[in-house]
Amino acid sequence: MFWALDYLVLALVLACAVLVVRIRSLNGAVMALSAVGVLLGLLFIVLGAPDVAHAQLVVGAIALPVLYLIAIGKTRTDVPEDDPSGASTDRTEEADPCTRETRIEDPSQERS
Amino acid sequence: MSSLYLVVALAEVAIAVLLTVRLGLGPTTCDRIVALNALTTQAMLALLFFAAYADRTGYLDAALWPASFGYLGTIVWARYLERGLL
Amino acid sequence: MKELVFAVVALVGLGFSLSGAVGVLRMPDVYTRIQCSSKTVTMGALPVLAALLIGEGPFGQYGSRVLLIAVLLGVLNPAAAHALARAAYRTGVPMWRGAVQDESLPQRNGERDGERGGSGKPDERQG
Repeated sequence: MFWALDYLVLALVLACAVLVVRIRSLNGAVMALSAVGVLLGLLFIVLGAPDVAHAQLVVGAIALPVLYLIAIGKTRTDVPEDDPSGASTDRTEEADPCTRETRIEDPSQERS
Repeated sequence: MSSLYLVVALAEVAIAVLLTVRLGLGPTTCDRIVALNALTTQAMLALLFFAAYADRTGYLDAALWPASFGYLGTIVWARYLERGLL
Repeated sequence: MKELVFAVVALVGLGFSLSGAVGVLRMPDVYTRIQCSSKTVTMGALPVLAALLIGEGPFGQYGSRVLLIAVLLGVLNPAAAHALARAAYRTGVPMWRGAVQDESLPQRNGERDGERGGSGKPDERQG
């Protein structure tokens, strides 16, 4: 009975890791990465390593997504308008708050 | 009694499979945040019940991280979507 | 006897969790999904934690952790759901096309007129 939980959590980790690559929007990929961290922590607990699970939960589920979020917020995400294949519909809508915020607080516009 | 704990943990992880589907095909970011929040809760419950199944109280402390920082992370995500993180 | 009570309480919690997961999967809208996730996951998680208390006894290692997690869940889950719904509304996530009413629509129009200034006072714009 013990191996069922092992393989089920392992399949979930694999599914979320595939999602990290497959999701086109950056915020969604970071969220799937956080899910990978949480599920890997659960997998380490199931495999009997609680200290590794502590480190994985703190780093993989909390610190790494925050790091990626800061990096994504610092970069300017301008998506070209004539982007083919439905990637643009998901992405422009989600990149909207970030780009709007950077445009408002841009100091060069106040100077000119 | 001990196998009942494992059955409950298995059921929680099986529920988390459904939430992973929503995490994959959610059209907006908010859908994915909802799915991730519920998935963190299910993983935490599975972890608690696996600790009760294995009868190791040392495993219980790892469940406090998803319980506290999962929901705080949701609040941080909401604030990030609203006005940016920095 | 203890196994029976444990099984019943855990089954109640698992049923609520399953209904919440199916609701998150099948609901047509972000807001209805937030409602499903918030209410039913809390109602599903608390009986499961109570079942763990029934199985292991309310005192000792399990009891303290379960009580702490239950308090954290009860405090943080409504706050997270509220913040998430507000962020979804502010960033303009569309409602389901079958939705009949949007009660905070004047507040949103007021925010669009003045980007920063009149965000906190929707009553002036109404009157």
